[in-house]
Amino acid sequence: MPNVIGLITCNYSIKHPGVLCASRPAASLPYLGRYRLVDFPLSNMVNCGIRTIGMVMPFNYRSIIDHVGSGKEWSLDRKNGGLFFLPGSAFGTSRAGARFLLRDLIANKVYFERSSSDYVVFSAANFVYNFDMAQLIDTHCSSGADITVLARPSAGTDEDIVGLKIDGERVAGIYQGVSYGDTEFLDCFVVSRSLVLDMLDWYAANDYLDLFEAMSGDFGRVDVRPLFFEGYVRPVFNLKSYFAGNMDLLDPAVAAELFPEGREIKTKAHDTSPAKYEAGSRVGNSLVSAGCRIFGQVTDSVLGRNVIVESGATVRNSIVLQGCIIKSGARVENAIIDRNNLIPAGTEFRGTPEEVLVKEKGSN
Amino acid sequence: MAKKECIAMLLAGGQGSRLGALTSNVAKPAVSFGGKFRIIDFALSNCANSDISTVGVLTQYRPYLLHSYIGTGGAWNLDEQGGGVSILPPYATQTGGAWYAGTADAVTQNLGYIEQNDPEYVLILSGDQLYRMDYRLMLENHIRHGADLTIAVMPVPWEEASRFGIITQDDDERILKFSEKPKQPDSNLASMGIYIFDAALLVEKLREDAIDQTSTHDFGNDIIPKLLAEGRRLYTYTFEGFWRDVGTISSYHETSMDLLGSEPAFDIFSSKFPIMSNASTRPPAYIGRNGNIDDCLVANGCQIFGTVRHSIISTDACVGERAVVEDSILLPGARVKDGAHVVRAILGENAMVEENVNLGSVDTTKDTAVVGNDVVVGKGE
Repeated sequence: MPNVIGLITCNYSIKHPGVLCASRPAASLPYLGRYRLVDFPLSNMVNCGIRTIGMVMPFNYRSIIDHVGSGKEWSLDRKNGGLFFLPGSAFGTSRAGARFLLRDLIANKVYFERSSSDYVVFSAANFVYNFDMAQLIDTHCSSGADITVLARPSAGTDEDIVGLKIDGERVAGIYQGVSYGDTEFLDCFVVSRSLVLDMLDWYAANDYLDLFEAMSGDFGRVDVRPLFFEGYVRPVFNLKSYFAGNMDLLDPAVAAELFPEGREIKTKAHDTSPAKYEAGSRVGNSLVSAGCRIFGQVTDSVLGRNVIVESGATVRNSIVLQGCIIKSGARVENAIIDRNNLIPAGTEFRGTPEEVLVKEKGSN
Repeated sequence: MAKKECIAMLLAGGQGSRLGALTSNVAKPAVSFGGKFRIIDFALSNCANSDISTVGVLTQYRPYLLHSYIGTGGAWNLDEQGGGVSILPPYATQTGGAWYAGTADAVTQNLGYIEQNDPEYVLILSGDQLYRMDYRLMLENHIRHGADLTIAVMPVPWEEASRFGIITQDDDERILKFSEKPKQPDSNLASMGIYIFDAALLVEKLREDAIDQTSTHDFGNDIIPKLLAEGRRLYTYTFEGFWRDVGTISSYHETSMDLLGSEPAFDIFSSKFPIMSNASTRPPAYIGRNGNIDDCLVANGCQIFGTVRHSIISTDACVGERAVVEDSILLPGARVKDGAHVVRAILGENAMVEENVNLGSVDTTKDTAVVGNDVVVGKGE
């Protein structure tokens, strides 16, 4: 593989963040019990051999740094290369949609200048998939395109996803919001490092724009081509897709696709004991993380680390994040319970399958 | 290198032959325990939790898994500048080389490591014991007594006393007598095989022992009796808590089962003195619609579609539809296929029980069934 570095943007704002993102950037949103959204782009890059990754940080970066630390779990604690925390604009971009804000890239031009790599893989942090990025790089090298973007045919309407206007083999433009049959941009692309530096000069005057917006009149000059990814992809831009994405993984076939042998999704390691299922507990069709203690009933749900479900408590069709305690006799249904909440004994916290109820981060 | 107060020498070279199939291709300290740990995690975590950051790990028998598992020691916060974990296998010199011939000999062959670190005290540990212990308390005890050697001890049931090194002490915890596996024990205080030596004395005595033709080069058999005979200051440190040396399949099985129940005898949940491990990052366990789990530990990466009772299911293990697992331990990656029935059994790492096979017996007078690592049990076996 040619010499490639990565860049992950973690600082853009999304349009419908919901209360889960009130206190944290989307990149560090807990996902599937033990992961954070940023684990997916980080692991995808590392799994194809990339060992230098810059992360453009938001102002509320505490949870990201807490999670990735020195990058040890991704083999990024290195003498040469490794993890670079790059300062992003103070408040990201005010317009949802821009994932690769030029101002952020220009401010960190030195990251690209100091590298001796041939290519740069860019990714945002809101898509959940496990993709062998070597395919993207190989395709890019052999096609002769200037930029190769990762794409897939759209399966429905989604105003948060960027659409690609396709003209023959090439991308002719972008637009916000897709509908069935469109081509979705998976917010991931590869480009030569020299072209990155050129583009930062060309578009310097429009530094308030997203890189692809700035390119809008330039698709004739810059040869942008899509590579279609056919595997499992879950965009997470709002509570609905967050909930659905977690529930997708209750299907072992989907889980096997997202967590294949040999391409592990890496995450921060914890010294948590295995989950303990006490006598009389009942658990069905659920994902249960390490450190949980279950006395009651859990069905069709995803439990984060160290969740306690006391006897007589029931959790149904819900996501319960790390450190929550569901007290005896409490009922949690069609809900997302953010970290460190205590649901008092005998109480109910119930949404409907159509309208999932969310409890914001607690202080238990 | 700065002088250190205390370093640890961790003996991890043993085969653990009485663990049979479980140690056919890995050393005993590398045997999986408690769903996500390996036995050596306990000694390494105790060191880290006791602020002992220089640890020499003496390895010999089938060391690959152990070496790769320990790595740089980072998983136990032991990847420190000027210290950390050093793996010490037997090595050759200009005059030749030799295998480690006994516990004392293993340390003798690495006196250079001790001298290089120049500590005041040396803590000698076994890598195959399960317990949580703050060695700082033992060291305080050692210093308070002005001891030459302190041995950690614990009371054991009288009927088991003849399996251990038995210590008789005076009212001030000074050791009067040490008998290795006595037929007629006159005390039930057992040595745990955990020693703190005055470093200079240890070096001197091991040098003497090395040229003693009559010695078996063992701490319990040779070094300790000799120090006692010389009238040295030997003291005990009494440990109160859970401690097991899982020497046999049945004690391994029993100790594993001690992790279960609503108030387990061995509580590995406490985060105050965490047992750390070099665990792989696997997704949460998936419990299928017909999954039924009662009184069990289930690690990450598992898939449970059948019924599991009073068992330990380690990382990435799998129990198929209609399968039943009872009073058993599935080590990492073990698979019980659809319709199989596993009772009172230990399945080694990546072992497999084929569909509809019955393994093990509820009859407790029979031995626990053991399937070795990577072994497949099919019909008619």
